[in-house]
Amino acid sequence: MADVRLQAQRVSKFFGDRPVLHRVNLAVQAGTAALIIGRNGVGKSTLIKLCCGLVRPSTGQLLLFGCEPRLLPAAQFRRLGVLLHQTLLYPRLTARENLEFYSELLGFPDAAAQAWRWLERVGLQRVAEEPVSALSRGMEQRLGIARAMLADPDLILLDEPFAAMDADGAELVGSLIREALARDASVVLTAHAPLEIAGVELEMFNLESNGLTPFRDEGRRGGLRHLLRRP
Amino acid sequence: MLEGFGPILRKDLRLELRTGESTVALVSLSVLILVVMVLAFGPGGARRAEVAAGALWIALIFAGTMGATRALLAERETGCIRGLLLSPVEPATIYAAKLAVAMIFMAEAGAAVLIVLVLFFNLDFGAALLRLVPVFLLGIAGLAALCTLLATVSGRVRAGAMLLPVMVVPLFAPALIAGSKASAAVLAGASLASVATWLKLLAAFDVLFVAAGYLLFEHVIIED
Amino acid sequence: MKSPMSIGLAAASCLSMLAALFMVFAYVPTEAEQGIVQRIFYFHLPCAWVAFLSFGIVAVAGALYLWLGHKIWDDLSYAAAELGMLFCTLVLVTGSIWAKPIWGVWWTWDSRLTTTFILWLLYGAYLLLRAFADDTDEVARFAAVLGIAGVLDIPIIIVSVRLWRTIHPAVLLTRQGEHGLEDPRMVATLLVSLAAFTVLFVWLLWLRLGTLRLRARLAKLRKDLALLEIAGAHR
Repeated sequence: MADVRLQAQRVSKFFGDRPVLHRVNLAVQAGTAALIIGRNGVGKSTLIKLCCGLVRPSTGQLLLFGCEPRLLPAAQFRRLGVLLHQTLLYPRLTARENLEFYSELLGFPDAAAQAWRWLERVGLQRVAEEPVSALSRGMEQRLGIARAMLADPDLILLDEPFAAMDADGAELVGSLIREALARDASVVLTAHAPLEIAGVELEMFNLESNGLTPFRDEGRRGGLRHLLRRP
Repeated sequence: MLEGFGPILRKDLRLELRTGESTVALVSLSVLILVVMVLAFGPGGARRAEVAAGALWIALIFAGTMGATRALLAERETGCIRGLLLSPVEPATIYAAKLAVAMIFMAEAGAAVLIVLVLFFNLDFGAALLRLVPVFLLGIAGLAALCTLLATVSGRVRAGAMLLPVMVVPLFAPALIAGSKASAAVLAGASLASVATWLKLLAAFDVLFVAAGYLLFEHVIIED
Repeated sequence: MKSPMSIGLAAASCLSMLAALFMVFAYVPTEAEQGIVQRIFYFHLPCAWVAFLSFGIVAVAGALYLWLGHKIWDDLSYAAAELGMLFCTLVLVTGSIWAKPIWGVWWTWDSRLTTTFILWLLYGAYLLLRAFADDTDEVARFAAVLGIAGVLDIPIIIVSVRLWRTIHPAVLLTRQGEHGLEDPRMVATLLVSLAAFTVLFVWLLWLRLGTLRLRARLAKLRKDLALLEIAGAHR
């Protein structure tokens, strides 16, 4: 029996009268990676927020680790790692303090060591004592991803992780995703356009206003593959 | 059950120690209110205890509503509240931590007001001031509980900052009555035993609203 | 709109109110000390009863909305708040009208009136919140929390205000309460008036709830239309 970490069944979302998501179906199993492609404003971020339980679906059902997010025991959230458009970092705390804080929340007995481990992993040890407000967008994004991955979560949701990333950053994100998949985690990420990550089999979906459909690469639609990543 | 309380509280205190913004704002506001009252009422005669008690509570309420808002402000600005909501920490624990922070801010404001009161009113308080402390603490516990529960409104709703006192004042009214009456009596020399009824009322109010806040907080803190 | 329930409530309300009016103005004897003005009591007290009852409904409906999530509970809460504000205002106004000829002042800080005044402020806070905010689920939840906090607060308000008043006997103002009704005809009139106002309240609540339900239906239709447009655009 496959371990379905995330399941959306005919999920729709309205903000007031405005429809944002329409009958989205999605199932993400252990050890798989899904890429959701959509243009700006189509609802990718809303979908991510729905998947982690920050926002409730207007209709339909969403199950996180087999349970509705509202009913999920708090401890289970340790298995979830999320990167939103906002990095969820405190601008006036240093990079290290931010990671230590979240490590403490996650219940790590040696939060300082855990924080340092991840600072090194994402290559930010030199700016560890800088307040986050002083970091560049790319560095902040790396720190945000570190924050999401602190507890080696089973389900990782990344909202446009490659935005504001240089080549090294993109390589880092790619390797982090590879490592996560290797330990059987599930990954869901969003992007503007299809992309490739070396060593990762991405199941691609197209998000439109009328729903989520499997992505079919129509080569004649030119220009869509311009974000091809180097292996 | 209260895991995460410590880290959140320490984080907020660390942020506050680093900038001191909230403390400065609250203390200034409280002292200003007090100064206005002193100038308006005059140095006072025989009714000094009552005016002093009234001034203390007025300053507390207005500085307090602001203080609780600021306790949540760090989260609000950056959307970091989502970071807390996505962590394995219960929303009720977030409430408890924010409540503690609000109380600390209010205590700072109250201490500043008391110092100014002693200077302006020149009352030979001594022992009376010590007796005032439990009254004060019981009062700010209830005020903090209310304000923390309702403070999310001021961020999320139009004219929310105006709405918060509009909601808090009628709800806090019984505690205000009890607190100011007990404070006035104590400052005038009465013993704590003589104001026991008011203290019990304050305690009942606190228990009720801390419990209500604990249970209801998750409904106000979640997004749509 | 003209459902049997609506017609039944309208009829019951009219009949009971006519009965009450008859009893207040024709049947019940004039009170010895206060004279004709005392008759306002038979409107004043039922309005207070409705004002407090309504707040209870605001809170219970709000709690049900938080628990069950169906918009109808929020609509009921809002309708009850509007009506409760109306009746609460009537309590304060009739209280003033009563106080002036008897005691020479427009307002007495007696414990019951003060409690009602605080209730009025709570209603005001609730309605201001809903007036300033958009009609979202989030605001509905805030309002529900406010209502619940208010109803929990009311017993403490009553106790604290009563204690507060006993400490200031200099402003002694006793009001003719229900305990002072010697004549059984007065008791009967009061009961009929209570019933009449309660039925009136239920009828108005029913009507108002109907309007809010229509609004909810309209919103649903708009959503359905938007969905159809999407489906059409992708054909």
